[in-house]
Amino acid sequence: MDPIYLDHAATTPMRAEVREAMAPYHSEVFGNPSSTHRWGRQAQAALERARGRVADALGVERREVVFVRGGTESDNLALLGRADATRSGQQTPCIVTSAIEHKAVLDAARSVEVDGGRAIVLPVDGSGVVDLDTLDLAFDASPSLVSVMWVNNEIGVVQPIEEIVERCRHHGVPVHSDGVQAIGKIPVRLDDVPLDLLSISGHKVCGPKSSGALFVRAGTELHARIHGGGQEGGLRPGTQDVAGAVGLAEAVTLAVAEAASARTHYLELRDRLIDRLRAALPDLRVHGAGAEVAGHILSVGIPGLSPEMLMISLDMEGLAVSGGSACQSGSTSESHVLRAIYGNEAIAATIRYSFGRTTTRDEIEEAAERTARVVQKLRVDAI
Amino acid sequence: MTRASVPRRTLVAMSGGVDSSLAAALLVEAGHDVIGATMKTFCYSGGTTHARSCCGLDGIVDARLVADRLGIPHYVFDVEEDFTRDVIDDFVSEYARGHTPNPCVRCNSYTKFGDLRRRARELGCDAIATGHYVRVRHDPGVSRLLRGRDHAKDQAYFLWGVDPSILPDLEFPVGELTKSEVRERARALGLVTADKPESQEICFVPTGDYRDLLEKRLAPRHPALEPGPLVLEDGTVVGEHDGYSAFTVGQRRGLGGGFGRPMFVLEVRPETREVVIGPREALAIDRVRIETPHWHGAPPDEGSRVAVQMRHRGDAHACRVTHADPETLLLTLDARCPAVAPGQSAVIFDGDEVLGGGRIAARLRPAPVSV
Repeated sequence: MDPIYLDHAATTPMRAEVREAMAPYHSEVFGNPSSTHRWGRQAQAALERARGRVADALGVERREVVFVRGGTESDNLALLGRADATRSGQQTPCIVTSAIEHKAVLDAARSVEVDGGRAIVLPVDGSGVVDLDTLDLAFDASPSLVSVMWVNNEIGVVQPIEEIVERCRHHGVPVHSDGVQAIGKIPVRLDDVPLDLLSISGHKVCGPKSSGALFVRAGTELHARIHGGGQEGGLRPGTQDVAGAVGLAEAVTLAVAEAASARTHYLELRDRLIDRLRAALPDLRVHGAGAEVAGHILSVGIPGLSPEMLMISLDMEGLAVSGGSACQSGSTSESHVLRAIYGNEAIAATIRYSFGRTTTRDEIEEAAERTARVVQKLRVDAI
Repeated sequence: MTRASVPRRTLVAMSGGVDSSLAAALLVEAGHDVIGATMKTFCYSGGTTHARSCCGLDGIVDARLVADRLGIPHYVFDVEEDFTRDVIDDFVSEYARGHTPNPCVRCNSYTKFGDLRRRARELGCDAIATGHYVRVRHDPGVSRLLRGRDHAKDQAYFLWGVDPSILPDLEFPVGELTKSEVRERARALGLVTADKPESQEICFVPTGDYRDLLEKRLAPRHPALEPGPLVLEDGTVVGEHDGYSAFTVGQRRGLGGGFGRPMFVLEVRPETREVVIGPREALAIDRVRIETPHWHGAPPDEGSRVAVQMRHRGDAHACRVTHADPETLLLTLDARCPAVAPGQSAVIFDGDEVLGGGRIAARLRPAPVSV
């Protein structure tokens, strides 16, 4: 039985173009970009070319791209950096965010609160879309930052970022978005959507792990969270990972260029998977139904099963997917995203399927069959 | 003998220690279809420090490394809720009533094997294995739990409470080996856990000091944590202690000196917060009362001769069953021995075979010696 990997929202395999683009920067062009000599200059040129490519892909200026080590670090720099900038202006920081954010954002917001600031968490509707009326109320608190993710990583729902940006601009409040699951899945052009801060990650788009960037619109006040040699405009000191930056640039460039065709492909796979699963499991519930979605993620609830055993049994059937959300150890815990959507309602065991560029229709058909088989077996055992 | 020669799909509980690592390896070697599992019993992140979150715990990581080496799947079973209810809550309430609990026994009796059995069924496993130093003899129609071959490492003491109906499904691959053989074979197989030190502490009290846990879980100013008198058997107050929960029958430490001879805890009286102390000979008992005994087969008849073990690695004392009913088992020892704290396990053996066991009830004073 061939294993099927449908967990591309967790991470993706590096694509060949990325591997090749990175290859010279491990040992041939190995210099420190801050060095004056030729080795340094060569590395710096590569780093800045990479920065330029990321900027082009996003529709921003090269100097507005800060290389960091992954999505989590990018989110943290945006939130905590804004909070510190607010503090230095002798004001109490206030972060407005949503209940369905990635933990990197939610926990960073909580830490601002722990350090004496404020965090306002916006609720979502039954489809997982952020409530804009509550956002309007939150402006009374003079937020330091509004942070709402572009595409939710658990259910794939697209948030109304354009609308949020417009309202924030009206109130003069900077806006951050975690764009990790949006890049390569839906159009992301910052010349169209004038965000102030955007977080992206390499490994979700077939790039290297531990690579990422924070777009910081020129003029946005932001403080560094770690201190050192002043690299990345002082916002992310530490010798840069040139190979990582080159890989990120290649991956993001390709992902953005392919986004339109990928979107069509993913939405088709998603509809097909919903059809097949529904036919076998009529009581299945599609999370985020009714909202606009990025097609690469499908999250479904299946009543009457233990989430933990469902994940294990699917793995044993050779199907790699995620549960509500996975802790590093592999033990499952309740999803804060689904809790935010369903309130006090009981939440059924949930499967998140996420597709990648190599996912085929046959794999989707097979995944539906394996899922149905596992669910039926677990249900028989439960009787 | 075990049925290790018949290939079966086996769920093996892997704590991340060397014993269960080798247990898994031996099953793989014998051609079984092995699935590894580590039970997450509580969240290890201590308070506000993020240094050791439950995700990064050594045991889980080590088990995963071993599973990867063996090429078997490995899963984490979250049993935190059951473990907290059945083991940690019991641990706290036992100390609160002046008893000394055996959390490992509780875990085996209530959490571990029950949960493994349920999951094994769901995963289509025919057998369950652990790294305990015990053996199980599968005779037609009956499976018996026996001490491990290495009596120095024997862990039968911890397993008296398992539901006997699970015995036919159990395998203990290291039960036939000595500890040094286990380490040697683990080394030969290149398992990362081969030289991992023994875990001595209670898993949910990694510092070894359970007072913090009691303070967190008992009501403020609970008598178990309040000062009380140290008294002699005749009632003479000889000092003060700072909470009876720190004392266990037979304990010598923490009683202070000045008595002219070593003194030992004889009894803990929660109702008066008294800790009664006396000389070694006052500890001696010749009878043991056991609450709600649990049997793997038919209960032994009154008058039958058995042996009782009252501590892990303790001696098995020859004795006679003087009374047996579903609530109480009374044993009369052939020779006197030092008393063991109420709440500890007493395990009943016939030779190497575990017949059953129970929790020790309050100490029975010896009958006066007739001259």
